[in-house]
Amino acid sequence: MLIPVCPSYVVVDSPSLGKTKSDPLGQDSLFSARYGRIMTLAANITLAALVQQVLVGLSRTTILFIVASGLSLVLGVLRIPNVAHGSLYMTGAFVTYTVATLFGQSTLGFWLALIVAPLVVALLSFLVERGLFCHLYEREHMMLLLFTFAFSLVIGDMVKLIWGSDYRSLAAPLFLQGSFSISGFPFPRYNLFLLIIGPLVAAGLWFLTNKTKIGKIARAAAVDREMVGAIGINVSWVFAAVFVIGCYLAGLGGALVAPTQNITQGMDHAIIIEAFLIVIIGGLGNIWGALLGALIFGLTDSIGILIWPQFAIVFPYVAVVIVLLFRPKGLLKSTW
Amino acid sequence: MLRVESLKKSFDRFLAVDGATLEVAAGEVVAVIGPNGAGKTTLFNLITGQLAPTSGAIWFKEENIAGLPPHRVCRRGISRSYQVVNIFHRLTVFENVQVAVLSHRHKTFNILKPAKLMAVGETRQILDSVGLLDKAEMTSGALSHGDQKVLEIGIALGNRPELLILDEPTAGMSPEETAVTLRLMKRLSGELGLTILFCEHDMGMVFSIANQIMVMQHGGTIIQGPPDDVRNNQLVREAYLGGADECSV
Amino acid sequence: MFKALFGVKTAIVGMILLALLLLLPQFLPRFYVYLIALIFAIALLATSLNMVLGYGGMYQFHHAVFYGVGAYAFALFAVKSGLPLWIGYLIAPFCSAALGLVMGLITVRLNQLYFGMLQISLGSLVWAITYRWYSFTGGDDGIHGIPLPDLVGSSTGAYYFNLIVVVTCFVLMYMIVNSPFGRIFQGIRDNPERCRAVGVNVQKQQLAGQTIAAFFAGVAGTLFVTVEGSVFPDLMFWTLSLEILIMCLLGGWFIFLGPALGAAIIISLRTFVGIYTEYWTLILGIVLMLLIFFLPEGVLSLFLKKADPSGKREG
Repeated sequence: MLIPVCPSYVVVDSPSLGKTKSDPLGQDSLFSARYGRIMTLAANITLAALVQQVLVGLSRTTILFIVASGLSLVLGVLRIPNVAHGSLYMTGAFVTYTVATLFGQSTLGFWLALIVAPLVVALLSFLVERGLFCHLYEREHMMLLLFTFAFSLVIGDMVKLIWGSDYRSLAAPLFLQGSFSISGFPFPRYNLFLLIIGPLVAAGLWFLTNKTKIGKIARAAAVDREMVGAIGINVSWVFAAVFVIGCYLAGLGGALVAPTQNITQGMDHAIIIEAFLIVIIGGLGNIWGALLGALIFGLTDSIGILIWPQFAIVFPYVAVVIVLLFRPKGLLKSTW
Repeated sequence: MLRVESLKKSFDRFLAVDGATLEVAAGEVVAVIGPNGAGKTTLFNLITGQLAPTSGAIWFKEENIAGLPPHRVCRRGISRSYQVVNIFHRLTVFENVQVAVLSHRHKTFNILKPAKLMAVGETRQILDSVGLLDKAEMTSGALSHGDQKVLEIGIALGNRPELLILDEPTAGMSPEETAVTLRLMKRLSGELGLTILFCEHDMGMVFSIANQIMVMQHGGTIIQGPPDDVRNNQLVREAYLGGADECSV
Repeated sequence: MFKALFGVKTAIVGMILLALLLLLPQFLPRFYVYLIALIFAIALLATSLNMVLGYGGMYQFHHAVFYGVGAYAFALFAVKSGLPLWIGYLIAPFCSAALGLVMGLITVRLNQLYFGMLQISLGSLVWAITYRWYSFTGGDDGIHGIPLPDLVGSSTGAYYFNLIVVVTCFVLMYMIVNSPFGRIFQGIRDNPERCRAVGVNVQKQQLAGQTIAAFFAGVAGTLFVTVEGSVFPDLMFWTLSLEILIMCLLGGWFIFLGPALGAAIIISLRTFVGIYTEYWTLILGIVLMLLIFFLPEGVLSLFLKKADPSGKREG
């Protein structure tokens, strides 16, 4: 993708262009119409359509929340927007595909993939954190940030190296295939599954940050890292743990999203920008802010699809700008 | 010139400044003293606009400046230095002071004239008066701590202030450097007629230069008055000087 | 005034370099003339980014948007207006500057990281709209075969045009970073709080800086069109912003011409590495990691330090 200045290479190198040429749907997957493409047909906005679209938006919120909360966690403690977060999400999706396919896309394979893929991502981030990243903590803030840039560039191409430039698709396990009917409009079972998963992850995160030792230390470190160092806790390992948990969440988001869309190069860029916006409107480093932001983002996005499909992407941005005009520091209290 | 009336500032539920009052007349040198955590730095931050007060008023030349942003406060004639060195560490000593002079002259949006040629005389004069002229071309980050603290004052002078606020001007200085700074402050007050408001832990220094001392405790004002009144005040002795029969003055 | 800006030594080196660049097209094959003309555009882009990044300390993470908008503004003007093409060269940078102003109004109120993240996000919105608005921008196909003035129609013509524009812009930008505005800008980079305390309206200053930088990025965009004759949404894609950020880091962001050198290195590297592998991004990532670990002040500062061990102005 890094070839924009020199067009003679664009066709060879640009995943987004390659994708749109070979796959007219892939372009959409970059954007918002991920779940509700059916809806673009329904120009007339009925109540049932609205309800259905809100539900779709809510299940989308689940993915956004999981990814953004991971980003927010790292932001709160390490004070770095991990730019590689989207790439890890993409990696999670591709690994899910591979593991599930290994088991013939069976139900067992799906569950296994859901467990394995985020762990693979977490392991990868652990190795990078301990091997490279942790040596930079004393350096200028900008260098840490640029390191995550570099990390994302490397993962992006590694994914291309391993899985190739083609898009993949993964079917949901049998019992989650098909859809319910809500006043005549179909609502996919898998989306219902996501709606159940979302609160579970939120509860898990609440437990982790409020009830476990590591969570309490991490929260203290977010507020005052000198103090945590002073009471004899190895701050470097706290950072490592938080970084790995954050990346795990990115992988989990990727795993969960895999059956709902084409798994492609370029899905990393779309999600990272959405996650940034969510974290910004929620309040940097605040996990509940991430939930609130994901809700706002998911809902405005899905309603935007109903109103003006071609430029649905504009709606969440408008929401973000409105929020920031009134609350420049985000809706909930930022940890810093 | 400056009158602070029942000023309050709370952070969440913690009251850092709680009903402080302060009066600074033109030409005076006023010291604010008090134990650590009494709210001195917060009080200064409220006056210079780094923080907005929760309630209360700050009158400067008959105008309430409470809640104005820092650059507005500065434009009205109040300059400050910081307790922790707060300079432009990648710029040279000359450029550090020049930034303030250029800002004072409203040249911040001049984009075509070389800065090298502007405000040279005035900047060098300020550097001369604080004794840093021979180090003008050094990168300020490479200066010694004492010189950086002096540069702090130099930057503050760049705005030609009427009221100069110094937050622990001699913190971390050697006795020799402290003496130099003390002489500098006396000169600024005597020759330039600057009004100075400062806070300091070094009691010897406070009592040797201030004509007015304000004592803070728990964010409030215990007393303000001439040094002798403060020295003999029973409340101050109990609260601050720890009941010792005579402080080291 | 001229002497105050450029030392005698700098002036002589600059003149020799300029003379060399003026002569080059006489000896080089066409491909290289094209490549260097392209490097001119990107060097201008990287230098304009460095105005806000290296001199202003602003986390401008999506500078390419202004470049892309400049290129698109010129392309759309050339294709749709029917007015003399030269006017497009004047209008396009102002379009970029206007966008910089509007985005700045939203973003400069926020602290550094918020600023950077929101900048990326808003820039991506512009990209997404360009990408989807088929009827106006040509969508992901972009616009091709953009008419150019006859004078710059040939690759040598484009080369000389770009050279002249870039040199002019460099002189202007050099004047700006050495003006009182630039001095204060560096003060904000080092210590925004102190700047406020000496009476500087930091947000206003940053807003002006962003607008000026966006203007020059827009100029770079028109230069790109002059070389390529086409535009496409990738011009304002986020990864390009990262790439120019890396150029700044590579060349050294406390030195005026550092980013231009970085641009020359990265573009050449990409062109020649691109012949052997399609995994350029991977290589770029590894280069960036190596830079962060071993050369955080850039290539040029390394040489300058060797030449001047006293390091009076080191970052």
